[in-house]
Amino acid sequence: MMRNVEKYLPILPVLVMYAVLFFIGLTMPGMWQLMATLLFYCALGQAFNIFLGMTGYVDFGYVAFVGMGTYGMAVTITTLAGSGLGGFTVILGYIMALVFSGLLSLAVGAVALRLRGAYFAIATIGVNEGLRFFIEGTSLWGGSEGIIFMSQLNQVLGDEAASALATFWADVLVIVIAILAAVTTLIYMRSKIGYALTALREDEDAAKVMGINVTMFKIIAFMTSACFAGLVGATAWALKTPYVFPPEVFEIHYTIEAIIIVMLGGAGTLLGPVVGGLIYGIGKYVLSVVFPGFQLLIFAPLIILIIVAFPDGVVGGIRNKFGHRALGRFIL
Amino acid sequence: MIAEQLLSNLAQGVVLGCVYGVATMGLSLIFGVLKVVNVGHGAFIMVGCFVTLFFFNSLGMSPFLAIPAAFLLGLGIGYLFYHSAIRRLLKAPELSTLLATFYMGVILQEVVKLMYGSEYRGFNWKVGTLSLGFTSLPMAKLYAALGSIAVALLLFAWFRKTRAGTAMRAVVEDDEGARVCGVNVNGVYALSFALGIGLTVASGVMLAMFLPVGLNPYMGAEYTLKAFVIAVLGGLASPYGAFFGGLIFGIIENGSYTFLAAIPGLEPFSMTRFLAFAMLLIILLIRPTGLLRAK
Repeated sequence: MMRNVEKYLPILPVLVMYAVLFFIGLTMPGMWQLMATLLFYCALGQAFNIFLGMTGYVDFGYVAFVGMGTYGMAVTITTLAGSGLGGFTVILGYIMALVFSGLLSLAVGAVALRLRGAYFAIATIGVNEGLRFFIEGTSLWGGSEGIIFMSQLNQVLGDEAASALATFWADVLVIVIAILAAVTTLIYMRSKIGYALTALREDEDAAKVMGINVTMFKIIAFMTSACFAGLVGATAWALKTPYVFPPEVFEIHYTIEAIIIVMLGGAGTLLGPVVGGLIYGIGKYVLSVVFPGFQLLIFAPLIILIIVAFPDGVVGGIRNKFGHRALGRFIL
Repeated sequence: MIAEQLLSNLAQGVVLGCVYGVATMGLSLIFGVLKVVNVGHGAFIMVGCFVTLFFFNSLGMSPFLAIPAAFLLGLGIGYLFYHSAIRRLLKAPELSTLLATFYMGVILQEVVKLMYGSEYRGFNWKVGTLSLGFTSLPMAKLYAALGSIAVALLLFAWFRKTRAGTAMRAVVEDDEGARVCGVNVNGVYALSFALGIGLTVASGVMLAMFLPVGLNPYMGAEYTLKAFVIAVLGGLASPYGAFFGGLIFGIIENGSYTFLAAIPGLEPFSMTRFLAFAMLLIILLIRPTGLLRAK
């Protein structure tokens, strides 16, 4: 029993971090918006870490899953606005977000996961743009006009509830999703899935020879990660700002941000995405305040410098140093 | 009517395809030698476009003179980026080089934005048009295609005739073997990266002829995706394959436009872009060595 509890101790620092962020936002006036942004980055990193961190495969079209989740929510709310289902519509929207991003990940995974390393990254590099042009080209879901569903959301929930959702509850839901993703990561790490993924990340051929069904475990990680991305999109995008435009929701910068967050914190660590999300979010915020208009010019070389100097990320580096001490039990 | 339109589009496709080809050779060269995926590729093309703009508008010189200037600038940028970051990341996991090359592209975008702003610019090189009966091609585009072929041939000769070129081919074949035979592999890596970037920036000069009002610091993203499709068509690691991949891609992109425009309810411009992405996945799935048999 004790051993079982100890196995799951590393979730504590993650929960503490999210709780601290939540209470800073709640108690300090004017901080909620910044905390919400940071939480979004943490959640995105936590979701992407399940795939990128645990398998070492770089999905360069990851934002496509965020986009599909956003569309899942938007399409559900616009079609069911008049049905009188009330708050249940939002739950259905979440289910559709999961279905949309899950199906896309199955389709992309079936093709791209046959490829390895750089080839996988190249295969996925156009998923988001391809999807964007498909939606625009076939006029699916409003095509290039996008979907604006502010009035439908108000109709479903009532004006007051919808505005409370956009300004407060959506951000709380982002925390819930981030924690769920972290818990899932830990459960995976402590189960057969995690051991299989670690083996294939280190040496895929050897793992295969040992009898591990690498394809199955890769698809599990890929789909889990994609579904969480869909939830993040449905919440942090669709419910907060009720509109979807293809060029914005499939913007490659979100993929890059997710990769940086995972990398900064330490790929494949449990605490990494929270640390990475905080460093990235705060860094971006500070630079845009101190050097408005020039933040990217300063940020870009800084990021390259960090990649060169700290390839294992912050948590990876700390774990390498303190992993064997008592503190190490809490850091994963 | 539709046949004439198709012929005209195909002619445009061939001309643009040559430029696409040369614009992808750098990507294939870098991937072939270093196994580094340059996801900032489009930004380097963009720099070439702005070099042309500078030569034409500010210096009043022929865009032809911009080709060697862009190449040398690219060579310098390539060496700088190689020695400051890429060299240290060759042994690191993929995500490091992917992020690093992406942010190199961002640096270039921001520097160009600082110099030229982010509004669309362009220039019009008036050198007449060539009439083919069913269509007419601006001479500027034709010169760009000829310039592309010349650059490709020069690279081919350089690979075959010079020691450095031979060493590079040896490293592509087997880097350990090359090292044992006394090839300075690290030097070859640096040269390949610089040469790849040089070629890419130079190709921007050619591409600028096709974009009379379309130059913008962020224009590169579109060409990054296209370049990957083309590189995959040509087998990813082969610069020659990339050139022919570019030709095929130009023909398919422009040719399919005619057909897609004939289908009601479709927006043909977006659909050609979607087609490019679909091609990327399908080719990687059924023929990862590219359409042309590599070696």
